[in-house]
Amino acid sequence: MSAKALNSQPGVALGGSGTLSHVYIQHPPLRCTIPGSKGLFYDDGNKLLLSVTSDQVFAWKTVPLTPPDAPSCDSIGEGPVLSVRYSLDAKVLGIQRSNHEIQFKNRETGEALIHRCRLESEIILGFFWIDCPTCDVVIVKTSGLDLFTYEPEVKILRLVETKKLNVCWYVYTHESRMVLLASGMQCKTFTGFQFSSGGIIRLPRFDMAMAQAEVNKKPVLAAEDVHIVTIYGRIYCLQVDRVAMLLHLYRFYRDAVIQQGSLTIYSSKIAVSVVDNVLLVHQVDAKVVILYDMFADSRAPISAPLPLLVRGLPRANASSSRSSINDALHIETNEMSDHEGSVYGEGWIFLVPDLICDFVNGFLWRIHLDLEAIAASNSEVPSILDFLQRRKLETNKAKQLCLAITRAVILERRPVLMVARAMDVLVNCFSHSMKMGGARRTVSGESTSTPTTQHGNNSRTVVDDPMSRVQTHGRSTKHEPATVSGVVSESIHYRTKDVDNESLGLTTFSTIDRSSTLLVSHSEENVNLALQNTSSGEPLQKPLSSEFHDLGTKEGIKSIDAGTSDVEAEQSSSESQLSPSSSRFDSNVSVESQVPSAAISPDEMYCSVFALIEEEMAGDPAYLVAIIVEYLRSAAVEKLKVHPNLYVLTVQLLARSDRYAELGLFVMNKILEPSKEVALQLLESGRQNLPTRKLGMDMLRRLSLHHDYVLLLVQDGYYLEALRYVRKNKVVILKLERLTEAMVNVQVNTIRPSLFLDATISSNDLQHLAAVLRFFSDFIPGFTNTSDHETYYRILNEMNSSVAA
Amino acid sequence: MFGCFEAVLSLCGRSESDNYRLRERIREGDSSIWLQESEDFIMGLSSTATTNEGIQLCIFDLRRGQHEGQELDKILFFFPADLSFSTQLSVIGLSEGLITFTRIFSPDAACEVIEAERHSHVFYQAEPDIWMVMVVEKNKDTEAIWRNDALQRVLKEVHSLFVMFHGSIRALLEKEPGGGVARSHLYSFVMDYLTDFLVAKKLHLPSFRDCLKERGTVQMLTVGREAAIEVQSLVRILESACPGNTACNSLVLFQDLLVSTTLSPDDTVNLFAYAVLRLTPRSLSHGTNSWSYLRKGSTASHVPTGSISDNSGSATEQSYTSHDTSPGRQGQRYHIPRPLQRDKWSKGKDGFLVTETWGAEVGSLIPATPTVWLQQTDERMYLCVFQQKYLTVILLIPVSSIINGEQGISMVKQLVLETASLNIFKVEERLSRGWGGGNAYHVSGYRYLLCDRDRNISRASPPGKVTTLTKDSLLALNKLREEVDVEKSRAKWDDPNHDKDLEICIRARNNAWVIARLTKGKELYMVLEKANETLLYASDAVEKFSNRYCNGTFSLD
Repeated sequence: MSAKALNSQPGVALGGSGTLSHVYIQHPPLRCTIPGSKGLFYDDGNKLLLSVTSDQVFAWKTVPLTPPDAPSCDSIGEGPVLSVRYSLDAKVLGIQRSNHEIQFKNRETGEALIHRCRLESEIILGFFWIDCPTCDVVIVKTSGLDLFTYEPEVKILRLVETKKLNVCWYVYTHESRMVLLASGMQCKTFTGFQFSSGGIIRLPRFDMAMAQAEVNKKPVLAAEDVHIVTIYGRIYCLQVDRVAMLLHLYRFYRDAVIQQGSLTIYSSKIAVSVVDNVLLVHQVDAKVVILYDMFADSRAPISAPLPLLVRGLPRANASSSRSSINDALHIETNEMSDHEGSVYGEGWIFLVPDLICDFVNGFLWRIHLDLEAIAASNSEVPSILDFLQRRKLETNKAKQLCLAITRAVILERRPVLMVARAMDVLVNCFSHSMKMGGARRTVSGESTSTPTTQHGNNSRTVVDDPMSRVQTHGRSTKHEPATVSGVVSESIHYRTKDVDNESLGLTTFSTIDRSSTLLVSHSEENVNLALQNTSSGEPLQKPLSSEFHDLGTKEGIKSIDAGTSDVEAEQSSSESQLSPSSSRFDSNVSVESQVPSAAISPDEMYCSVFALIEEEMAGDPAYLVAIIVEYLRSAAVEKLKVHPNLYVLTVQLLARSDRYAELGLFVMNKILEPSKEVALQLLESGRQNLPTRKLGMDMLRRLSLHHDYVLLLVQDGYYLEALRYVRKNKVVILKLERLTEAMVNVQVNTIRPSLFLDATISSNDLQHLAAVLRFFSDFIPGFTNTSDHETYYRILNEMNSSVAA
Repeated sequence: MFGCFEAVLSLCGRSESDNYRLRERIREGDSSIWLQESEDFIMGLSSTATTNEGIQLCIFDLRRGQHEGQELDKILFFFPADLSFSTQLSVIGLSEGLITFTRIFSPDAACEVIEAERHSHVFYQAEPDIWMVMVVEKNKDTEAIWRNDALQRVLKEVHSLFVMFHGSIRALLEKEPGGGVARSHLYSFVMDYLTDFLVAKKLHLPSFRDCLKERGTVQMLTVGREAAIEVQSLVRILESACPGNTACNSLVLFQDLLVSTTLSPDDTVNLFAYAVLRLTPRSLSHGTNSWSYLRKGSTASHVPTGSISDNSGSATEQSYTSHDTSPGRQGQRYHIPRPLQRDKWSKGKDGFLVTETWGAEVGSLIPATPTVWLQQTDERMYLCVFQQKYLTVILLIPVSSIINGEQGISMVKQLVLETASLNIFKVEERLSRGWGGGNAYHVSGYRYLLCDRDRNISRASPPGKVTTLTKDSLLALNKLREEVDVEKSRAKWDDPNHDKDLEICIRARNNAWVIARLTKGKELYMVLEKANETLLYASDAVEKFSNRYCNGTFSLD
């Protein structure tokens, strides 16, 4: 995707648009201005923004976008640059010098090799690095694809495979690892390949729909009208049909490409971003953006079209204040730019998935969703909760919003059925996130049911990636500490980190990034640099020479690495298995990734919803009970345990409104699961209602909370019943005696004879005292010798004589 | 003063001479004479009134007819109605005398029963000074062995149901001091109620054969947790469909078993009893009631005496009405709803049950929605009944919350259908799936009755299984229950808040074990016919039952 530096038309001034919006970009942007820059490139494999000067390339990490770091710098030597990409291990820099020639430069050694088309008729359309087991580099030519392995040791590019095809243009994103090759008169026939770590998948050839404006005039599909996006781990292709003013959606399956509806567009120029699995369709001419959540079947937008907002702008007049901030160099390089502040200006290029590059000004913006605004604009509570629960980037915010919305709908006393649906959504999401492995970042569950292009061995990628990361890390630091840089090795971390997370998190295989996009194309110079020497002066070698050697060295490297960085490898692999999302390279997403999902656990549901609103709902316990019942229903369907205090709360609410009959039903049907907390609350609430108190007693008995139960029996004056219970219970205890004598001691301690004896004395019932005394004499060995026996026996005699007298 | 009596008497077809004699007696006005001769009197009566198998049922008000010559005013209801007034008065006189006498010793609870040689008089004070007395003939040859408590529960039930539909008798009497309204209401209601005891043209009151049943309790469906939550969810949705913030109530029944209630235990018992008598699918389709399973297959019959049948009922109703016209309601006819009239409910197109027995609203043909009084809140509620296959949902909506009468009701019904019909459907389906059939609560080897007095819940062996017991076992259990009743009432007087623990095991004549266990307000009665010789065996059997089906409630030893 290329763009020409044109005079930017006056656009909507930054910050000048209203504050109402659902997506925003945060000021300040990443400023990527280098004196003498000839153009900006985006290397989506490594998520780097590259700025090329006459003999150097500067790289900025785009993850994270802020705070901006100083760019890393590589010397590339003089010459035209059509495209530039770092290899995925960041050791090699690939520079397309012309339509026939690509230069590969080893960053450590400075050695370079040049790959050239064999046939003059072929034109190199582009190249990209892949992480396929069989090959490292793919070069797209008009005659098809060439797949190579890069072997630095022998300094050759070895051809692995050739796919013969006529190619007009191509689209590739590293995120999807998919390349779409356009062919035909209208460029609407496509062949796709996916270069997954499991192998290469060839997609069936398919045609895209193109409406005809006139009978004899057939429109030609342009590369900028086709977008590959990855949403919820599914890969879609979006195609703009300018005649029909539709955005067609195609979804890729392993063995099929299926059109899945169309979205109406309102602008002839369309840009597409994906932020947190939400599809953003920028209606560039109309300067608004429409949001779609492709998870749902409905193709209706989430919300009304609203402009993109720039946040955090200084209050003063945008252009003047900012140009003073900008360094002089920037002004030099982009003299024409006084319109840095125009949203959807001419200089804007939309990078996959969520970046905007303002090449005129050398700014890089990241698009963010304003979840609050989206939530506030939608009154359909269950669907907005569903939407929020699916957000992965700002999970904490999404979760807090969900909790706030839930509290609000209850406090507003919205219809029970509606709140019930909201509860269903929350419970289902939690249950689903549990099933998907708890803390793990998860994407849609649909992946299992649909024939996606998933390659079955994610696990392998999971294990492999940290290993390779360790390798590269160890080597770059050990062998070449002096060269290119810490910065680059950091960027490698980011790369590997991304792959790591992606391969773990996405259930389908891919990640998201538009392939190295040429942002500023220079006038094409067909300079034939046949034997160009780079700084190291290595000549290009024939790829055939060193198959054996290659294998050998690769193995050698592996073994060395395993030896040197055993511990680290272990660490990282264990990390990646236990909590992949919180790996140490994940600092950029740190806050969010610690809260891996927006799912709300039953405990949080109680603590952050029910416990908080309880007081405010005191006036309407019946409604709150209805809501709790709905929540219990949802939880029961998903077999979730709820917080025991929720049951206690339910008991309180029912008792407070004198609904003891219902309370009885709730307990008997075990809607309120038995627990000590519930039992004690039943006893408490049962002060006014004897049957309820009995329910509490019964629950204590059934929970085998002997001590509490016996105490209560004694307290209520059921001495003999209590003793009978003790005796029965002791039978059980005696059986256990052989196992644990300690337990018996505890038991004997727990039910002290004096407890009964005191109680019977206070009841002033001679018969009872005698019976109790007799019981202990009979059932506790040696009781007759204790001081208790003596004391109470005397008391009994005294009472007896006083009665007799 | 006698004018009204004469009018009544003449309408009842009494001869002048009878009336004269009666008048003479009333003039004498000496209740002591009545007391002396009462037993003879009743004997004589019973011998003549053979058609009714010696069963009499009367309701009278001690506050009325205290003056000489006004004695007839006491009588609010008498069955059989065609008994002479003198006979009626003599029965009531005896009862009144006994009540007055026993009140000297026990002011709060006067006599409960008189056991004479050939009759039992069972008393029930329905409302302050309003008494119901049932006189049953003892007959050694027949099945006529009763348990007083069971008979008392019949009286209690009919009265509770009456109050539920018509309000208290006292309130009716206060509204219309002439008593005509109360009499006509009582007459049609009690007569309709008694039809359910009619078996082959004879009244069959609960006998010893019904000793594994407990009237005035609710039978519940056992449901799992998830189903219970779903039911509760339905209940909440139903209540939320009610207008405004008013407190609606609901009952949910499946088959003849209660699934959920939001009413107080007493109101639940009443509405449940009514539902089982007239509303559940079985009572709708068969026209029979569930209490007297014995009369299955027999059609609702007209009794030749004319005392119970519909025709004579309405005739007598008219007579009461005309009697009533005398004081001040000249020519004014009013409609008496007969909620217990058989076969008057039917299922409407929208799934709601309809009946015309409440008449229609003035100026419309739409049947009026029945209303009931709730005991606990003393509030009048509309009774809306929805039925989905075997699921019956009773929705009670406060009358005060509906402003525009039937129109408002139909709006509520519409709302219920819109919001809850899916849930009702789901609940019905779920319960049907888990329904174990009529014998679901049969435990083989056991014949049992389980009562929870705190919640008015009981569960028993299915009637079909109880009939397999021998007469000896049943008689022994009946006897045992009688003993337990006495013991219980005694304990209740000692300390009403202290539950009595009790355990009795009896070896019956046929070597069956007859067992009763009481603990913490729960009661278990059991007959083990095929039990072993030893008491230990019987005790173990109870223990096993308790642990398995009663959460170990009865196994404290």
